Amino acid sequence: MRKYLARRALFALGTLVGVSLIIFVVLRILPGDPLVAILGVEGHARMTPADRVRIMHDLGLSDPLPVQYVHWLRDIATGKLGKSFFRGDTVAELILHRGPISAEIGFLALVVSWLVGLPVGIVSAIKPNSWADNVARSLAILFIAIPGFWLSMLIVLALLFWFGYKAPLIIVHVWESPWENLQIVIGPAIVLGLAQGAYIARMSRSCLLEVIGEDYVRTARAKGAPERQVVLGHALPNALLPVITISGVLLGFVLGGSVAVEQAFGVPGLGRSLVTALIERDIIVVQNLVLLYAVIFVLVNFVVDLSYAWLDPRIRYA
Amino acid sequence: MSDQPVSGPRSRTLSRRTFLRAAGVVGGASLGPAVLRRRAEAQETPSPIRPDPAAKRGGTLRYAVHNAPAHFDVHQSGTVANIGPQSPMYDCLIRRDPRDGQSIIPDLAWKWDISPDGKKYTFYLRKGVKFHDGADFTAEDVKATYDRIVRAPTGVVIPRSSLFTTVGEIVIVDPHRIEFRLTEARPKAFMLGSFASGWNIIVRKKTLEENQGNLRQVMNFPGTGPFKHVSRKDKEVWIMERNPNYWNKGLPYLDKLEIYHMFPFSPELGSSFLAGKIDYARLLDPVSWRKAKEMPNVTAAAFNQSVIQAFWMNMKKKPLADPRVRRAIHLAMDRPTLVEVVKDTAPMQLGGFVYPFHGMSTPKAELEKRLGYQRDIKPAVQEARRLMQEAGYGQGIKGLDFVVRDIQTFKLWAVAIQAMLKEHINIETNLRTVQTSVWFDEAAAGNFDLAISAIVSSLMDPSDYFTAWYGQNGPQNYSGWSNEQFHALAKQIERELDDTKRKAMVRKAEDILEQDPPLIPIAYEQIYDAYYNKVKGQNPSTFFGIYDVCRWDNVWLAQS
Repeated sequence: MRKYLARRALFALGTLVGVSLIIFVVLRILPGDPLVAILGVEGHARMTPADRVRIMHDLGLSDPLPVQYVHWLRDIATGKLGKSFFRGDTVAELILHRGPISAEIGFLALVVSWLVGLPVGIVSAIKPNSWADNVARSLAILFIAIPGFWLSMLIVLALLFWFGYKAPLIIVHVWESPWENLQIVIGPAIVLGLAQGAYIARMSRSCLLEVIGEDYVRTARAKGAPERQVVLGHALPNALLPVITISGVLLGFVLGGSVAVEQAFGVPGLGRSLVTALIERDIIVVQNLVLLYAVIFVLVNFVVDLSYAWLDPRIRYA
Repeated sequence: MSDQPVSGPRSRTLSRRTFLRAAGVVGGASLGPAVLRRRAEAQETPSPIRPDPAAKRGGTLRYAVHNAPAHFDVHQSGTVANIGPQSPMYDCLIRRDPRDGQSIIPDLAWKWDISPDGKKYTFYLRKGVKFHDGADFTAEDVKATYDRIVRAPTGVVIPRSSLFTTVGEIVIVDPHRIEFRLTEARPKAFMLGSFASGWNIIVRKKTLEENQGNLRQVMNFPGTGPFKHVSRKDKEVWIMERNPNYWNKGLPYLDKLEIYHMFPFSPELGSSFLAGKIDYARLLDPVSWRKAKEMPNVTAAAFNQSVIQAFWMNMKKKPLADPRVRRAIHLAMDRPTLVEVVKDTAPMQLGGFVYPFHGMSTPKAELEKRLGYQRDIKPAVQEARRLMQEAGYGQGIKGLDFVVRDIQTFKLWAVAIQAMLKEHINIETNLRTVQTSVWFDEAAAGNFDLAISAIVSSLMDPSDYFTAWYGQNGPQNYSGWSNEQFHALAKQIERELDDTKRKAMVRKAEDILEQDPPLIPIAYEQIYDAYYNKVKGQNPSTFFGIYDVCRWDNVWLAQS
């Protein structure tokens, strides 16, 4: 198990170094001048070459690329992650303020996806091709197909025009006011959770169907075990392994999807910060947020790998 | 009685009554001159805005304006993202009257003199004004502020420096009097308009010194304004409270300002206003604005803005260097339709090369009769085809690179313009949509044939944008346009002090621009504001732009 752990950890680290290099290089070769966003179009038009040299130097953008990369690593090591080009806030401050909201949305989305996806998958698997199965499968396809940002906009508009309702405009953390906090996170969590729930429903259905046909399930039934125990106690734990794996992958979709969904709901989370930073070409913020997303994704998959190995001994001894 | 020498036994025992009377006399004698002086000063330095007797004190105004600023240096900014939230914390020397948005009234300078030759502007500053950190406001602060605006240090870029190119010396006469000595006279309206620009806030000399003249990352530098900084959540809200020591006694009325950052024309801004989460929304999208207009308890106002929407033509490319081709392109535009195309995205109005709502431009009714601006575009298209024929491009032009800034209005317009050019004068274009920062790179480097965007001027006065937009080396002359006759006339316009003569010259300049277009004007932006009727004291309908009146000192809430 230790060897397995070390090997996975090494892969994870290598992935992160690779991601950091790709983000760093891509952001620096993309066209577009960050000084347009800093100085505005009028200021940018009036900037002299001497002004440009001075400002680029102040921002640390005139250093050679390897030096800039080392500076970034140094900023990561200090925990501040560097400063935004613009208002001078550190990226760590930004993450500390907005991260909890995005984390809540991600966590709730995952909970929603399991709460919805798993029962639907079980019902579908127990009664395949019944009307319940057909409805469940149709809904699953629907939620996979609908773009999250579009559904979000529909929800925002429906709430506004039917109930005159709009969620709080600024971040309210759960420890400040749980009720207001819930109003901010619940919409994006449901939209993201339903989409992922559809995947989980389909995956759990097919896995459960496969497991239900296994010999040991037939044996359990032959021994007279009640159907509930057969399904939930014997078949489901084994059918869950691929579902756990896919949940790790789906978290990546949740992170990616949150960018558009936060924007549509007007939630000032990290996803929205990433969009704004891209528009402003605030490359320090972009590179750190993308790296953060990569770290989360790699970590979750690392944990999934470990839990998989823990749940199925064949994997860790392979 | 008190003048008589006190003698006798009674004089030796001081009664309580005598003591109090004497103390009263002494105190009155010592305080009297100070009180009288303050009263005299108050009469001498009248407040520009008298408190409204009907106004109520208190309450919190929830105002939404634009997304968060890229930095905090108001002088270095050109966007309402700065002036919108920061303006309430600062004052200027003189200002536009918030009641009409146009007349110029005193601010930190309670009066000013202009020498008969127009080369010396003397400002008399208020006494007893304090910055939010408790420091006294003096002429030193005005000098430091304007030294920086007029001659910005390297690495500090101030778009309004060009308004003050004729300011030679700034001289402190005494702590409350300052002179601006000009190297040559400029029209009074131009100079006073420049001083009254909302961007030119007065900053402490010490603040500038402590930050090496660059306030881009200094969030809360002290001002003298009606509101004081309390807290700010980046890209969310900026909260301010009433300045209890504001020099204009009785103002502001509001206890608190909550300024929310929301993208202009965004559904988020519209929905926040319609749901009643904010009291005042600036830069509403047309759909939400129309909905707001139908609400019984809401006022929806529209006013003019100092932004031209246009496309530039690269003069280095052969067909476009020919004025006949550029005029043909100008005439091929169906402008009323172009305004219609974006009516649900952003409010626009018809206009030519000079702000259509400015007193010096051709009146709208007259403009609409001109080729290129008429509803019936057939005569203009006919003339455009003739010009193309005459220039040797009767068969049209193929493969022009049309660079489009990635903003909804420009994308909508680009498609419509592409169709108009093809249909009317057989010019074929390839659209290339790029991000804003790339657009300005490409435009500055001349990597385009046609390029569509919008630009702002610091002042409504033609002398400002004739230099910036159409000047030979103007910073926003992306076409690389040049016309000797126009440049000579623009110089005369800059120096002409007689308004009537100046107006005639501006009209002449318009004629030159019509025949030899440096850019193709599409439309002029309008601003849509909406506010619940409990917000009183604000009447934006007559405002010129959104940069001069945004201090909220005279605004009050009917229900707080």
